[in-house]
Amino acid sequence: MTALPAVTVPSPETIVSIEGLRKSFGDVEVLRGVDLKVGKGEAVVIVGSSGSGKSTCLRCINRLEEPTAGTIRVGGQEITGPKVDLNLLRRRIGMVFQGIHLYPHKTALGNVTLALRKVVGLGKEEAEQKARHHLGVVGLAHKADSYPAQLSGGQQQRVGIARAMALEPQVMLFDEPTSALDPELVGEVLNVMVRTKEMGMTMIVVTHEMKFARDVADRVVFMDHGAILAEGTPQEILVNPQHQRIRDFVMRSHG
Amino acid sequence: MDQIVRYFFDFGLLSAYWPDILRGFLITVEMSILTVVIGIPLGLLLAILRLYGIRPLNWLIIFYIDFFRSIPQLVLIVLAYFALPYFGLVLEPFTATVLALAIVLSAFSEEIFWAGINAVAKGQWEAGRSTGLSFTQTLAYIILPQVVRMSIPPLTNRAIGISKGTTLGSVVAVPELLNVTSSIQSNVANPTALTVGALLFLLLFLPFVRFTRWLEHVYAHPRS
Repeated sequence: MTALPAVTVPSPETIVSIEGLRKSFGDVEVLRGVDLKVGKGEAVVIVGSSGSGKSTCLRCINRLEEPTAGTIRVGGQEITGPKVDLNLLRRRIGMVFQGIHLYPHKTALGNVTLALRKVVGLGKEEAEQKARHHLGVVGLAHKADSYPAQLSGGQQQRVGIARAMALEPQVMLFDEPTSALDPELVGEVLNVMVRTKEMGMTMIVVTHEMKFARDVADRVVFMDHGAILAEGTPQEILVNPQHQRIRDFVMRSHG
Repeated sequence: MDQIVRYFFDFGLLSAYWPDILRGFLITVEMSILTVVIGIPLGLLLAILRLYGIRPLNWLIIFYIDFFRSIPQLVLIVLAYFALPYFGLVLEPFTATVLALAIVLSAFSEEIFWAGINAVAKGQWEAGRSTGLSFTQTLAYIILPQVVRMSIPPLTNRAIGISKGTTLGSVVAVPELLNVTSSIQSNVANPTALTVGALLFLLLFLPFVRFTRWLEHVYAHPRS
């Protein structure tokens, strides 16, 4: 394997640090030793073919998947130990899903306030005030009382982002947030994500949106067969890729 | 036509029996309500316990629901009344009937709730847990509200079906509505009492059906 390109870390403070992460499902090894550091305020975009392990890697960070081996630290705290309070941990890690997964029986406001009330322990008024603020940030203040079924896919995903952001996490994980959306609804979600980055949020994004990766990422990570094949600036990885596999991938994605 | 009226709608014959009929009706109402308010929450409790995945407990629960869904309610009532005394448990006919029916209803409602729990997308759990909600909080605030909503129509069917089993209480001499009205039928040699019984059953179950339809309507998620 050729030497990895030099990596520029924009901030000295590391928020997420992954070392030697392995994950197997039965006999199938999906992650074969992943090392990754993400600095504060950095936006890292993980790309790669489907089945390369990028979603699994992301889901290990808040332990929706249980790592088989390796250590993960978030905000300096190791999250893979047996004594970790998972609920406390997850409160500090926001997640946005490909399938969106809004609670269908709750309004947009109710979706955002639930964890604020039951996890953070805010009172009703304070939680609603905060939720309305975050709905405002994603441009949906006027939809606070709508149920998910009354919103478009793009609006639903923006509520999903507000739901995670309202907990003021240290890092936001985006797991293919636009893959389930109609093409004309993708832009509004990406715009909100750009805004999230501008607010200084640390972000790890798994996506197939190459334009987003090129324009917004501080660093692009290319995963292949459960390992990181290359990482670097969008320019290095997506515009002038050194690896044939990445060149093929970029061609196919006609980025 | 005259004969039909004379046989089935000769209400004059019943003048002496109205208090008995009313008492029978009230007993039927009471038994139905008790069966539902014991059986359905018990079924929900079993479904929740099953969700925690404690192996030996789940075997017990599955045996319980399979057994009580298979055995005829009549047999169960007879066993509860005539067999339990040998184990030192003597039950009133009323209690034995309600107990048997509530257990059967709990077994059926457990299956309905369990199917509902499995029908809620896995992503709902992940969304809840990813915001720091505990397993139990996710269950209580996100999963169960959805499960209960989708379970109302099948639960209604099952609750009505099993509540009608209160008439089986007559085999252990519970003076419920069917028992009373069929006795009257024998006494006056006229089936009008059964007509009254049937009308009273309608009076009991129709509002119940209407009520659950209304619940379904209220709980329906708004659709665009």
